[in-house]
Amino acid sequence: MGLPGKKHSPPPLEGGGWGEGCDHPPVVDDRTPPPNPLPQGEGESPATALIELRDFAVAFAGVPVIHALHLHIARGDAVGLVGESGSGKSVTWLGALGLLPPVASVSGQVLLQGENLLTASPERLARIRGGRIGLIFQDPVSALNPIHRVGAQVVEALRVHRDLTGGAARAEAKRLFDQVGIPDAARRLALYPHELSGGQNQRVMIAMALAGQPDLLIADEPTTALDTTIQAQILDLLDRLRRDTGMALVLISHDLSVVAELCSRIAVMYAGRIVEQAPTDALFDRPAHPYARGLLAAVPPLSGPRQRLAAIQGSVPEPWNMPPGCAFAPRCPLAAEDCDTGVPAMCAVSLGHSAACVHLAHDVGLRREADRRGERSDAG
Amino acid sequence: MRFALHRLLRAALTLLIVTALAFFILRLSADPALVILGPDAPPAAIAAFREAWGLDRPLPLQFLDYIRAVLRGDFGRSMINGAPVLSLVLQRVPTTLEIMLPALLCAIGIGVPAGVFAALRRNTLADRCVMAASVAGFTMPSFVLGLVLVLVFAVDLGWLPSGGNDHWWSAILPVLTLAAGGAAVLARFTRSAMVEVLGQPYIRTASAKGLLWRAVVRRHALPNAAIPVVTMVGFMVGGLLAGAVVTESVFSWPGLGQLMVMSVASRDLAVVQCILLLVASTMVAANLTVDLLYGVLDPRLRRGGGAH
Amino acid sequence: MPGEGRNARAVGASHPAPSTLRVSTSPARSAGEVLTELDNAQRVYRAGGSLFGRHRLVQAVAGVSFALQRGRTLGLVGESGCGKSTTGRLALGLERPDAGTVAFDGTPMPPRGSSAWRRVRARMQLVFQDPLGALDRRLPIGTQVTEPLVVHAIGTSEERAARAADLLRAVGLRPDQAARYPHELSGGQRQRAVIARALATQPDLLVCDEPVSALDVSIQAQVVNLLIDLQAQFGLAMLFISHDLKLVRLIAHEVAVMYLGLIVEQGEPEALFAAPAHPYTQALLAAVPDRRRRGPRKLLAGEPPNPSERPTGCAFHPRCPVAIVRCRSESPALLRRADGRLVACHLARGAA
Repeated sequence: MGLPGKKHSPPPLEGGGWGEGCDHPPVVDDRTPPPNPLPQGEGESPATALIELRDFAVAFAGVPVIHALHLHIARGDAVGLVGESGSGKSVTWLGALGLLPPVASVSGQVLLQGENLLTASPERLARIRGGRIGLIFQDPVSALNPIHRVGAQVVEALRVHRDLTGGAARAEAKRLFDQVGIPDAARRLALYPHELSGGQNQRVMIAMALAGQPDLLIADEPTTALDTTIQAQILDLLDRLRRDTGMALVLISHDLSVVAELCSRIAVMYAGRIVEQAPTDALFDRPAHPYARGLLAAVPPLSGPRQRLAAIQGSVPEPWNMPPGCAFAPRCPLAAEDCDTGVPAMCAVSLGHSAACVHLAHDVGLRREADRRGERSDAG
Repeated sequence: MRFALHRLLRAALTLLIVTALAFFILRLSADPALVILGPDAPPAAIAAFREAWGLDRPLPLQFLDYIRAVLRGDFGRSMINGAPVLSLVLQRVPTTLEIMLPALLCAIGIGVPAGVFAALRRNTLADRCVMAASVAGFTMPSFVLGLVLVLVFAVDLGWLPSGGNDHWWSAILPVLTLAAGGAAVLARFTRSAMVEVLGQPYIRTASAKGLLWRAVVRRHALPNAAIPVVTMVGFMVGGLLAGAVVTESVFSWPGLGQLMVMSVASRDLAVVQCILLLVASTMVAANLTVDLLYGVLDPRLRRGGGAH
Repeated sequence: MPGEGRNARAVGASHPAPSTLRVSTSPARSAGEVLTELDNAQRVYRAGGSLFGRHRLVQAVAGVSFALQRGRTLGLVGESGCGKSTTGRLALGLERPDAGTVAFDGTPMPPRGSSAWRRVRARMQLVFQDPLGALDRRLPIGTQVTEPLVVHAIGTSEERAARAADLLRAVGLRPDQAARYPHELSGGQRQRAVIARALATQPDLLVCDEPVSALDVSIQAQVVNLLIDLQAQFGLAMLFISHDLKLVRLIAHEVAVMYLGLIVEQGEPEALFAAPAHPYTQALLAAVPDRRRRGPRKLLAGEPPNPSERPTGCAFHPRCPVAIVRCRSESPALLRRADGRLVACHLARGAA
C-alpha cells in the first residue's frame, strides 16, 4: 500500500448510472426501473433540492483533499455529516461557501436552487453567506471577535442582511437572544465573549447565524468543545429552531450519536469521499460500508454488555499518499483484490441508502439479477 | 485608583535608578575638570574647579545633594557657560520636537499601512518586496542613511540644505532619516500582528456572516491587530529619542541630541543628567500611556473580566 | 468482526476475536491491596486579585475520599470545574492537599520535590490529553520512552535499549519506530508512545487524564483496548479521568461522579449508569445523545457552576430539579446505600 495515487472516481453516467466499481451493467430494460445510485432526501427529487453538491472537489496546492462529492439537501432536511480527522467534512462546506484560503482550489458545482455558488461574484457570495446559508463553528469563544460586544456582533449581521440599524436592530438582537435561550438577554447584549460561558457563546453564534434568516444552517462541530449537559441543551436548541423555522440543518460531527439524535439522514465520510449515505435508523441497524460498521463498533454503548471494542486498525491515509482504489482498503477486514483496481462508486442498498463498496455491488448485483429473473414474468 | 498609584510608584523608582546609574557612571568615567580646563591646566586651577563644583566630596553625598536640588527644581548649572541647566535644556526641546513628532507620524503613516498591505498579500511578491525594504530600513545605521541623503539631495541635487534649521524644509531630511528605522520596524511588526489575527477563527466567522472582505479587514482584523501595534509605537518613542542624537549630529540640528553629544564630550555633568532625566521621564510616560490604551482597546484586560 | 479479506490476519494478530469481557465486580477478584487512598482531600486555589486587591478562594477539590486497589480502575467523571483533574494531581502528589490526606501504599505522600517524593514517582505515572504536548519535539521516541529509566538510574544502556523495544511492542508500535520523532507519528501512535513511556518504570499506578479525548473515535478504541490489556497484563491500578461516560463505563471497575469538587455518586458502572441515584448523574446520563430516545429529553438547566462562587448547602441545589428547602442549607454527606452505592443527596438515599 502507499502508492501515491491520484485516483479519479469514474464520472457518473447521464441520469446517474452504475460506475466502475459496481459489477452490474446499466439496466436499459424498460421492464425494470433504472437503478438509482444517488440517494434522495426523503423522497424528493434532486430538482427541488435546496442545495446540491455535484462533482464537488477540493485540492490544496494540487493535492486533492475532497474527491467528486455528491450530496443534496432538501428544504427542512436534517442531514448529518460524520467523519474523523482527514475525512474532509468541514473542508467540504468551507469550500462550498468560498471560505477556504486561496491555496485551495475548488471545482465542481454547488447549486443553491440552481445558482452555482462557485461561479458567483464575491458580493453575491457574501449575501448568500449568512443570508441564505448560516454557519456556526466549533469553540465559540474563539470564533467570536473578542473586542466587540456580543450584541454588536449580532447587530452587524442584522445590518448586512436585513438592513436593520439602531433601535430596531437592537430590539431584534434581543429577540434573537431570547429565541436561542440566553437568559437576561437585554443585559447580556452588552457583554464581551470572554464574559460569557462556552454554552452561552455558542447560543450567541447561533443567534448571529439566524439573524439573516437563512434557509440552511451548517453546524460544524458545534458542541465538541462543550460540556455534556450543555451539549444536550445546544442540540435541543438546534432541533427546536429547525422545527420552528423550517430551516434545513447540516450537522457535522465526529460523534455518530450526536448526529443520530438530530438528523434523519447521515452521510459518512472517509478520506475525502462519502462512503455511505442512509436514513439514520438504517445506518445504525444495517450499516453497509465496512468503515461505517467499524465506526459503530468502535463506540462503547451506554447500556448492554460491556464488550471489548472492535477497533479499526491503522489510521487515515494522508491526502498525498492515498492508496490506489478504495481509500479504506488497507484497514478493511473485507479487503480483496478488487478493492485496488478503482475507487468504488456509490451503489444503492435500498431506498435512500447507498454505500461505496465493491462487495456491495456484488451482493446488490446478484440480488438484482435474481430479481430480474424472478420478475421477468411479472413485469410489463 | 490603586492601579494608578502602583504605576506611579514604579515610574518614580525607575527614574531614580536611571538617574543614579547615570550619575555614578558619569562621575567615575572621567574628571570633568580635566576635560573642561584641558590636561595642561595647572593643578591649582583644577583643584579650584573641582571644589567649586563640589566634585571633591564623596560620591554618595554628591548624589544626595543632586537629588535634593532636583526636588527643589534646581537642576544645576552648566559647567561650560554657567547657564541654568533646565532653561538650557528646555530651550532645545521644541527644536527636537520639530523633527521627532513628524518622524513619529511618518513612521506610523508609512510603516503600519505597509505592514497591513504585506499581511493581506502574504507570500506574494509584493509581500516579499515590502519585507525586504523593511529589512534594509532597520539594518541601515541612521548616520549612514543620513549622510547618503545629504549626499544625494543636498550635494548632488541641491534641492535641500545639508544642515541647520533655517527653513522649514531643512527638516525634511532629518525627519526621513529618523523615521526610516521606525517605519521599517513597525512594518514588520504590523505584518506579523495582522497575519496572526487573520489566522484567528473569528475572521472566518466574520466572512461566514456575509461581510465583504474589505469589511472583515476593516472591522475585525485591524482593530485586533492594533493592540500589539500600539504597544510597539510606545516603545518606538524611546527609539526615536535615541535616534535623534545621531540625526541631529549629522544634520547639525540644534536640538537636544546635539546638546547631549556636546555635553557628554565635555563632561558637562549637570546637563547630561538633566537630559537623561527628561528622556527617561518621556519613556516612562509613553509606556504608561500605552498601558492605559491597552486597557481601552482590549476588553479582556479590563478589571473584573471573566466568565459569568 | 471476523474478516475474510487479506487484512484478516493482520487484524487477528494484534487483536483476538472480541469476546464479552466479563469484568468481575466482586472485591475478591482484585489483589485487594489498597494502593492509593484519599481521605477528605481538599485543594484550594487563590485566584484573581492584584498586589493590593483581594483574591477569591476557589475550592477545586472540596473533600474527596476514595481507595484505589491494585489491578482496578476508578473512573472519575464530571464536567468542567468539577475538580477531577485536580484530584488526579493530588493522587499523584503533584499538588499538596490543603486539608485531608493522600496516601500511597500505606504511607502519606511525601512533600513535592523531596527525595522520597522523587523515589515514589517511579511507581506512579501520568498519561494526559495532549500527546504532542507530552512529548519533546526534538527527541526521538525511543529516547523518550527510556527517559524515566535514565532519571531513576535503572539498568545499563543496553538493558534500556532492550526495554525500549519491549515497551514499544507492548503498546503496539514497532521497535524500529524508536527512531521516529513525535511529529512523524499519528495522534494514536503518539499516545501509545506516551503510554509506553509511562510503563517504563513498571509503575503500580497509572493516572490517565482524558487520555483519548483528542483522538479520533476509531483510534480511541485502539488505545482503550490497549489500556485494558495492559492493566490485565501488569496488574496496574488506574485512575481514569474523563468526561466521556461511555468509555468510563467500559474501562472502569468503579465510577465516581464529581460535581464542584465533591463526589456526588460512586458505584459499579453498569448499575450506576442503568439506575443513577443522584439527580446530577441522572441529568448527565440524560444528556448523552441517544438515537433511540423518543420524546423530549429531561434537560438540565443553567450553566456549569463557577467554582469560586459555591452555593450554600448542596452544591447542586441551584440546578437540581428536585431540590427541597433542606438542600439549600445542609450539604449532604456521601453515604452508602444498601446495595453498595455511595450517594450524596438528601433525597436519593433509601430508594435502592
